Amino acid sequence: MGELSVSHLLGIKYLQKSDIDLIFETADHFKEVINRPIKKVPSLRDITIANLFFENSTRTRLSFELAEKRLSADVVNFSAASSSVKKGETLVDTVNNILSMKVDMVVMRHPNPGAGVFLSKHVNASIINAGDGAHEHPTQALLDSYSIRERLGDVAGKKVVIVGDILHSRVALSNIFALNKLGAKVKVCGPLTLIPKHIESLGVTVEPNLEKALNWCDVANMLRVQNERMEVSYFPSTREYRQQFGVNKQLLNSLDKEIVIMHPGPINRGVEITSDVADSKQAIILDQVENGVAIRMAVIYLLASKIKQ
Amino acid sequence: MNLLIKSATIVDKASKYNGKKVDILIEKGTISKIRSKIDNPANFKEFKRDNLHVSLGWFDSSVSFGEPGYEERETLENGLKTAALSGFTDIVLNPNTNPVIDSATDVSYIKTTTSSNAVRIHPLGSLTKGSKGVDLAELYDMKKSGAVGFYDYKKSISNANLVKIAIQYSQTCDTLVCMFSEDEKIKGSGVANEDVSSTHLGLKGIAPLAEEIQIARNIYLTEYTGGKLHLPTISTDGSVAQIKNAKKSGIDVSCSVAIHNLFLDDSMLDQFDGNLRVSPPLRTIKNNKVLIKAVKDSVIDMVTSDHSPIDIEDKKVAFEHAKNGTIGLESAFGALNSLFDTELAVELLIKGRERFKIESPSIGEGVEANLTFFNPDTAYTFSEDHIHSTSKNSAFLGQELKGSVYGIFSNNKLVTNQ
Repeated sequence: MGELSVSHLLGIKYLQKSDIDLIFETADHFKEVINRPIKKVPSLRDITIANLFFENSTRTRLSFELAEKRLSADVVNFSAASSSVKKGETLVDTVNNILSMKVDMVVMRHPNPGAGVFLSKHVNASIINAGDGAHEHPTQALLDSYSIRERLGDVAGKKVVIVGDILHSRVALSNIFALNKLGAKVKVCGPLTLIPKHIESLGVTVEPNLEKALNWCDVANMLRVQNERMEVSYFPSTREYRQQFGVNKQLLNSLDKEIVIMHPGPINRGVEITSDVADSKQAIILDQVENGVAIRMAVIYLLASKIKQ
Repeated sequence: MNLLIKSATIVDKASKYNGKKVDILIEKGTISKIRSKIDNPANFKEFKRDNLHVSLGWFDSSVSFGEPGYEERETLENGLKTAALSGFTDIVLNPNTNPVIDSATDVSYIKTTTSSNAVRIHPLGSLTKGSKGVDLAELYDMKKSGAVGFYDYKKSISNANLVKIAIQYSQTCDTLVCMFSEDEKIKGSGVANEDVSSTHLGLKGIAPLAEEIQIARNIYLTEYTGGKLHLPTISTDGSVAQIKNAKKSGIDVSCSVAIHNLFLDDSMLDQFDGNLRVSPPLRTIKNNKVLIKAVKDSVIDMVTSDHSPIDIEDKKVAFEHAKNGTIGLESAFGALNSLFDTELAVELLIKGRERFKIESPSIGEGVEANLTFFNPDTAYTFSEDHIHSTSKNSAFLGQELKGSVYGIFSNNKLVTNQ
């Protein structure tokens, strides 16, 4: 088996395509493992991983913890409200304290963009970014592309539209980087107030009309509106947002092809997608969750194998 | 003090000695003789250095220290020593202390505490009480005590009527109002220039529009009042275009640009280094080229180090939490001398005194010595070893610079690095 070109997973932008291919191949193997009656392998018995979540998370934290435990790593968890770790020195101190207890790897979610990059320069451990502000959420993008590959056979050449709050979304940014590296075509769709002015510099195009975007695409990745990150109202009301950017069954049925619906969760049912869409066979939302564990196992395994060297 | 400066090349476009290698004799602080060779008359102290160049003492229109209130960032004593070792003989000191400098007593404190120093401090008073942007401070009283202008440091004033009143009132007491231009609402919680780089890095953007919309307003207010206004540390090509037009129309506006906004750009933010968090933010390389041209064309009236010492606790943090500001005195010459030829770099380091009605020095026999000593040819990587400041928050760390400073002679004192 090959090895990654990086010692940390800080963002998709730092990976090469060959890294993503390697992660996917490794995830294929682990997906088979987690569907066995005994879902555990002894690969990382000598590795200790700290999950540091400076921002609330349920599914990502659970997914990482499951991935770590299925690889037989020792796991410690730390959660803190962002207010108590406003100063980076505290962040470095917190992590160094934990590392003093001989931790090999840190999985970190943090509200500040670049927190993982910052930390990787100041502590001696392998860092996995589990989301840093509006910067990157690399494992989410990996599992999203992996899920597209699983459903459609390949990512290259596929047309993907990312719909919703692009401005505040690390998922959008990481997805754009991953899909571009894998050869997909990407559009973003949403109110122009929630799309960064210079987004096209990332190699995507902007389509403010949802119906046109859906008619164009093979896959629609529906993002949540992140009200908690907004200082002002970027659109008049949820009702009006839903009218323009919500996907319902009627709209899906009106398209001349069957597109794939994705969502990174948590879903605001009835806002960005209706329940009948979320629960339809076109939606692969729960496949994404399952693949998340396999992808995270692959990432942890590949980075741990670099520590062992 | 008496001093014999040996084999110094004079860099001073306005002087008949420009480009000549001479000896300079200083007696009791006054230049008494400039000749190609002077014999030491009475065992005077001699000043010799490798590749010694000398110019008029340098001037900086925006320097911040920490005293009173933020002495852990920088004291007046060490700040002035830093200025001297960086080649500056006159500095305009910002009022952003704690409490802010907003009364005649505060101004007097700064002046009297530092009066015997080689470097002359020219304090700015706060434009509004407490720099809160609500009521005008006592401008006339502070001017009498030595304030050379008035500025709410890095704070834009949203109330346009207050700005109008400030410019009108400053005319009655013949002083200069400085106005930071950035629309707070458009800026929002932005931390980096809104462009390709901030988009790639997920950093909240500050659109150039935030600066330009306020530059436009401030120019209109200056035109309406018929007064004058200084716009410190502009940063966008759009601001340059507006100021150029305003000057063509005869509106009395001047502006400065921070040297880091010429030398550094937003593509350098990819390591999320808190030292690169400055206000206004680092812009694009393309934008910087317009700023550099505007400096050469004198649309931008002066450059400044915008020296701003900040503790490591507020800099070695995630980029979003880092405080704005970089120290800049120590790197000012090396950066400018890398961007421009030495003659222009020195010219830029001398410009700006007139706007603040600070006496301009000259090089000639019979005049008070106000000189900077430097070597324009040394090349080095800027590191903490080059920093004299108490705080080490330099955005220039790791940059390749050209030109180093030996020191100054000013106020009848020699300050050198050896």
